[in-house]
Amino acid sequence: MKKQNTLEPLHLAELPTVVVHTLQTEGGRLAEIRLAVQSDLAADGQFGEQWLLIDSHDLWVIERHNGRANLRHKFALDEIQDAKIERCVGNGLIQVTVQDRPHVLLHYSNELTDRFGRVAHYLHERAESGPATPVPDPDADSHKCMVCGKLLLDTSSKVCPNCIQRGKLLKRLLLLARPYWGTMGIIVVLLLAGVLVDLLPPYLTRILIDDVLRSGAHPNWLLWLVGGLMAIQITRVGITILTNWLTINVSTRFTSGIRDQLFAHLKKLSVDYFDKNQIGRLVTKVNQDTEELQGIVSQMTTFALNIMLVIGIGVVLFAMAPSLGLYVLIPTPFVLTAAYFYYRYMQPHFRRFWIARWRLNSMLNTFLSGVRVVKAFAQEDQEEARYHRRNETLLNSRLQVDQAWSRFYPLISFAFSAGGLIIWYAGGNAVLDDKITLGTLMAFLSYLGMFYGPLSNLTHISQALNRFLTISQRTFEMLDEEPEKQSATPVRRPSLKGRIEFDHVTFGYDPYYPVIRDISFVVEPGELIGIVGHSGAGKTTLVNLLCRFYEVTQGAIRIDGVDIRELPMEEIRKQVGIVLQTPFLFHGTLAENIAYGKPDATRAEIIRAAKAANAHDFITRLPEGYDTIVGEGGAGLSGGERQRISIARAILHNPRILILDEATSSVDTETERQIQEALSELVKGRTTIAIAHRLSTLYNANRILVIHHGRLEEQGPPKQLMDNKGMFYQLVQMQTQLASLDGVATL
Amino acid sequence: MTQETVLENKPTKSFHVVYLDPARTHFSRQGDTLSMTLEGDAPEWQQRFPRVVLRACFPVADKSVFLSVRDARDEEQPEIGILEDWTQLAPADREAIAAELGLLYFVPRIQRIFKIKEELGFLYWTVETDKGPKEFVMRNSVINYAREVESGHWLLIDINQARYEIPDINALDHTSRKLLNQFLYL
Repeated sequence: MKKQNTLEPLHLAELPTVVVHTLQTEGGRLAEIRLAVQSDLAADGQFGEQWLLIDSHDLWVIERHNGRANLRHKFALDEIQDAKIERCVGNGLIQVTVQDRPHVLLHYSNELTDRFGRVAHYLHERAESGPATPVPDPDADSHKCMVCGKLLLDTSSKVCPNCIQRGKLLKRLLLLARPYWGTMGIIVVLLLAGVLVDLLPPYLTRILIDDVLRSGAHPNWLLWLVGGLMAIQITRVGITILTNWLTINVSTRFTSGIRDQLFAHLKKLSVDYFDKNQIGRLVTKVNQDTEELQGIVSQMTTFALNIMLVIGIGVVLFAMAPSLGLYVLIPTPFVLTAAYFYYRYMQPHFRRFWIARWRLNSMLNTFLSGVRVVKAFAQEDQEEARYHRRNETLLNSRLQVDQAWSRFYPLISFAFSAGGLIIWYAGGNAVLDDKITLGTLMAFLSYLGMFYGPLSNLTHISQALNRFLTISQRTFEMLDEEPEKQSATPVRRPSLKGRIEFDHVTFGYDPYYPVIRDISFVVEPGELIGIVGHSGAGKTTLVNLLCRFYEVTQGAIRIDGVDIRELPMEEIRKQVGIVLQTPFLFHGTLAENIAYGKPDATRAEIIRAAKAANAHDFITRLPEGYDTIVGEGGAGLSGGERQRISIARAILHNPRILILDEATSSVDTETERQIQEALSELVKGRTTIAIAHRLSTLYNANRILVIHHGRLEEQGPPKQLMDNKGMFYQLVQMQTQLASLDGVATL
Repeated sequence: MTQETVLENKPTKSFHVVYLDPARTHFSRQGDTLSMTLEGDAPEWQQRFPRVVLRACFPVADKSVFLSVRDARDEEQPEIGILEDWTQLAPADREAIAAELGLLYFVPRIQRIFKIKEELGFLYWTVETDKGPKEFVMRNSVINYAREVESGHWLLIDINQARYEIPDINALDHTSRKLLNQFLYL
């Protein structure tokens, strides 16, 4: 197979000779090349090799195919007016604009997006700022493995799977378990004691058979021996109970401790992290993984016990009768192979069953949450058929599990008992030849019965260990995630006035796809500013940047002249209050929800805030008043009511800067009027930034910013913008037409 | 049709679907750049788009129907029109479209699986595809990253969001099928 080296950073010396040759015939010189990047796709859409080379004046794209190189593009850098990358499916492309015409240079596969993003960014910058633009390292600060330095395939982890040192992982886990070391020590001692106790009964039976039953030498020992066996069994029960109790205790406490740690860490992470990771996966990490971790910790105890048993019994068997001990080994390979195949064969069946069950559950879930839609479209029968199909799959997978089990179980029992038969024969011969006593043979057989079980159990120890390490790795991965950046030397301000300044701010959630481009504006303290624009124009992003949920890519945002990166995070959040389009209510009472930002608020303060938010009246009408419990989405309250609760929350929070993100766009006109009343109370004396779809709500704004495609299209007082007949005018025209349909033309 | 090909007069958003007439729509590729010419009733009404972007409406189910053709000059890439069945185009135009689609939808079809290795929650695949040999890494979660499009037809999504297709599992050789069975729990 061809070696895939496209992920390695490039050194010019590695440039294939044919490519260098083509470069030279096309007027380039290797020594002057400043940037050389390789794509892993060929021009014909196969995996292949293309090179993009840049020196001080020109750009070449050269393809290497079947040992030959040919030029695909050549452009003078000064001709290039713009460059960008574009996402396709499973790959991307880099495009340059030359003489106002777009040219696609080449395609590359997804894993190289960062690399070509940097090249495009460089070309774009060069087109704007001239030849002095510094040439970037196309593979700089990409996600590299912290250990080996190779480019990481999975950007969410820090170390490549090859470099994860299992030993280190275990060590770290063990360190995490430090508070339980004492208990763990006791468990190990108990396990050892248990093994010793387990080894005793066959020994006693041997005496019972040889010295009491067969020879009749000590008939009075019978009672003592049976009594002894009884005592051993009681001790065994005691030890087992104690071990289990301690194990459960340790594993539960240990994992619940990890869960606490995870949550504590989770809350410190930036919003960015939650964008990149699906909520579902995080829930799995925090809840399910720790749950499973607990199960595996318990399982590990079983493994430890089994290891000790196998060793202990092995030693005893060989000590008792070395020749018979060898016979024990004969069936061992069979037992081991059978057990190994059992786990290999059964495991997929179980997984299949779990997946089928998961699919059935999620289908039922979807049906129940969308039951109105199902009924409205009269699709009950179709849903039933769909459920039936999935249920059928579940049934089949369950049958497969059980059938596989019923096939395998007799086979594995046979493997176990076959071992016994060999001992019966060989041992029987030895007894007949008087080499060993009958008691020894019986004891031997008892030990044997205890030997193969634990031995076969040990065959899937590597699997369990692997699973254990996978989960631990996932857990540590999250604990290692860097928390939100805090300024090293935060500037403390006794009180903010609320002057906001955006200074040439550029930002993209993905740095190569900017959604905010070079926006500058100033908001004076106490001003009410409206932000308008089409959906997707970047309005909410502006607000996110102001709250420092994300860091700007270029430029700066200042509050009272201080860069927000230098302000302590809690200070920003304390001074900035947000009312979102879809209010979020936490599970708890209305009073708790209103006091969310200020948990020590007095009841009088809560009522005052609710009153100011126009919420007091409907709250008092509720049977349980302020003590009404609301759910996650705020069930039982209307959209407008929920919104007024969140406004009350913002009023009580009392921020200097207030952000209203489409606060009234999801409610009807009457509710909007009520909310507007509440808001007019809230904005008094605060710097307010209001994002609005309904332009009528902005009639009293000091100024309006019109955002279009991430750029500031125009700004000014509403009246002036109307007179300018620019984009704002157009937007208003459009809405007036819509509004006149309802006969409620405004503005 | 008008002569307008200048960007300033881009079509305003419309709620009507514009279908392109395959007989009067022509494509050509220069390098990796696909351009389109729409014939008008008179020669001077001809429209030329220096770069168009294609988007299949049903990329998984059938790429040969309902192809959205978009003007790449504008950042929003507004739709020029839809080709309902591009296989009706003239042979040269058809070739251009096929080549472009092959590049835009880079979804290698897996023909043979040499090895799948599970390690710490990731599956490492070594495969032969119709576009050449490839190694890729996928998160070991069948529920999230493998999708059965229809019976026997699978779509795999790797950690870079690259997609790999297995058109028909039963058409694979025995070893490949066994590996799939073992790791995807088919």
